[in-house]
Amino acid sequence: NCPLSLLVSVVLVGLLCLVFCSQPTSLDAAPLCTNAEAGCHVLSLANLFDRVIQHSARMHSISNDLHSEFELYFLPSKNQIGRVSRNCHTSNILTPNGKENAQRMAREELTEVILKLLVAWRDPLWHFHQSMTHFHDFIDFSSNKSLKMSDMVHELRKGVQKVVEKMQMLGILSNSVSSLMSPEAFLAPGSAEWRLMKDYELLYCFRRDSNKVQNYLKILKCRIVPEDGC
Amino acid sequence: MACARMVKHLRLPLLLLLLALAAECNSMSPPEKPDKLGCRSPDKETFFCWWTPGSDGGLPTVHHLYYKTEGQENMRQCPDYHKAGSNSCFFSKTSIWVEYTVIVEASNALGNTSSDPLTFDLMNIVKPFAPENVTVVVNIEDSPHLTIQWHTPSNIDTKSGWVTLKNQLRVKPDKSKIWKNYASETQTHFTIYSIDLGVVYMVEVRCAIDNSWSEWSNTTFVKVPNFSRKDNSFWILVFSLCLIPLLAAMIILILKRKTVKKYILPPVPSPKIRGVDVQLLKSGQSEDVINAMLLNQRFPVMIPWKDQKEDYLIVSDKETSYLPLEKKKIFILPLAMALDSEVQSKETSEVDHFPKDSESSSEESSDKTESSQLLTKCSSANVLNDEKANQLKGVTEKIFQPFGICGYVDIPRHEHMQEADYSRVNEVNGDNILIMKKENIPHTLDTQGQEGSVPDNYSMVKEVNSDNVVFLEKHSESVNASFKAKGYIDWVNQKPKNLHMTGHSEMGVCPQLVGCEYVDTVPPPAVI
Repeated sequence: NCPLSLLVSVVLVGLLCLVFCSQPTSLDAAPLCTNAEAGCHVLSLANLFDRVIQHSARMHSISNDLHSEFELYFLPSKNQIGRVSRNCHTSNILTPNGKENAQRMAREELTEVILKLLVAWRDPLWHFHQSMTHFHDFIDFSSNKSLKMSDMVHELRKGVQKVVEKMQMLGILSNSVSSLMSPEAFLAPGSAEWRLMKDYELLYCFRRDSNKVQNYLKILKCRIVPEDGC
Repeated sequence: MACARMVKHLRLPLLLLLLALAAECNSMSPPEKPDKLGCRSPDKETFFCWWTPGSDGGLPTVHHLYYKTEGQENMRQCPDYHKAGSNSCFFSKTSIWVEYTVIVEASNALGNTSSDPLTFDLMNIVKPFAPENVTVVVNIEDSPHLTIQWHTPSNIDTKSGWVTLKNQLRVKPDKSKIWKNYASETQTHFTIYSIDLGVVYMVEVRCAIDNSWSEWSNTTFVKVPNFSRKDNSFWILVFSLCLIPLLAAMIILILKRKTVKKYILPPVPSPKIRGVDVQLLKSGQSEDVINAMLLNQRFPVMIPWKDQKEDYLIVSDKETSYLPLEKKKIFILPLAMALDSEVQSKETSEVDHFPKDSESSSEESSDKTESSQLLTKCSSANVLNDEKANQLKGVTEKIFQPFGICGYVDIPRHEHMQEADYSRVNEVNGDNILIMKKENIPHTLDTQGQEGSVPDNYSMVKEVNSDNVVFLEKHSESVNASFKAKGYIDWVNQKPKNLHMTGHSEMGVCPQLVGCEYVDTVPPPAVI
């Protein structure tokens, strides 16, 4: 039918245009720029937020998968779920445990929490990946996931730092956060506890913390730049 | 005596036995432990738990749910047993990322029984309800498609960013077994275009929070009508309407193809001679050719060229001319002047020179602006004896008589004053006697012709009597009256010897007298 084919062709043309005209949104491809540097496209704050939120969602989904696979492989009995929660090494970081609590928290505090969490997980995940290489069976289907997870934590931290810098530039955030940028500042004494955690516990804890990061970022975004998606 | 003692000992056990038997017949017991505990959070903020009670043991049993969060020591009771229905507990105030431990206890008069504990984190029990109010609209106007709309379950907070919903729908024809899934991210409407006519479709929708999907909604059935009569007939009508003018235009074009051809490709004009019929030429017959080429032609009328003013060219013989470079004047005799044949015969030899001389003189006289018209067809030119002419002083000329159409030559005027001797007429006696004065009045006459001073009529000199008597001839009308008197009478008085002294002889002509000359500088009009 004539109109249908015409419509289809118009839609195709529109799609092609969208594909070629729209900016790349994948986090790996385009670097994040703070100021209008040469050859670097300046992104809006909302766009930056979307990127980091997407990234954190992917990170959480990988951690979820890893946890389930680990549980399936090493601990088949169901009753083991949730028994090890007390031993997370990030328990000392005070995190809001609900929507209202997160909303009541100041922006700077919330941002700090996010950064603290991300920083705290950089080394443990790397070591987890290292230890996983010894498990030859586990490597077959999970090793690249653990490596990816540790990379993602690193990338996400950098991304969140960019967002913070942009917010500080726009005057949304006060400059009190900047003092906590260095990873070492986040490591509390006794931070070597994570070495005592078992791998399973580590995965469990990280799954929870990645979910926290994702949710906190979403809360922040809809509070600061409540555009589409909120 | 011994019998009574035996009954006493047996009474208690018998009683117990009876009680036991009675108890077994009634089956009262403490309750069984509740089973199948489950908890669910539809919005990541509240959750509810449910259980399946066991047998109550024949006694009224009550169930209690106790919970505790991670880090607490004491169990707390369920805050709301009713909102979520029977055998459930609803939690409105919750914490996420903390471990809950929930236990359900059944108790009756005989005892309590607790279920197995359930530990969970709120983030793990999130599962939204299925979407509501799913509506499907079939539209086959332009192209058949289904428009599906639904509502997300209530109480889900997407505004603060706490919850991110994703939607998904699936469609399958009634008879088929395979579902087709479509993803609709955050929209609550969707349109499907790839549907077939006359098929019953089943549509289901579900949503997800953080990758945790709800159940599928209730199936919506929709039937796509089989045939769009209106659609087809519309197109047939449009097609036929378009066809009629097209056919009409084609017919017109075919009928008037020549006109159209002429309009589109105009004929190139070819050269054409007026009056010449090309077809006649082509036919090839000589008569026709002549007819075609000539007879039909209308030649433009040729008007003979006439000049108002004409000067005459003096033609002189080469040998005798001693004014070679000077302009010469010529004398033209009037037609009526009858030079006799002896003059004619003498000078016929001169005729040949005539054209030459006239040509040369015309060359010489080229300074003058007036053109010269030479007529060479002058068979009857009469020229005087050039001997006589030589003797003349100052003037050498050749006189030729024009007969008919010949003999007139335009001469260039020359300003050279000619000396001539003239005698003034003193007295006129009678008709034909002129008495001259004696004195010579050398005066130059302007060759331009003082018209005023020249009389209109001439008289021929008949006889020269003495020095000062001239007899004129009587017929002055022989002189052509049309002649304008431009010239003059040249008297040759200085050489009376030359004059032919005759008596009163009637001589119309004095051929030997060079002086007898009439000058007529105006050609007759009929000269061609």
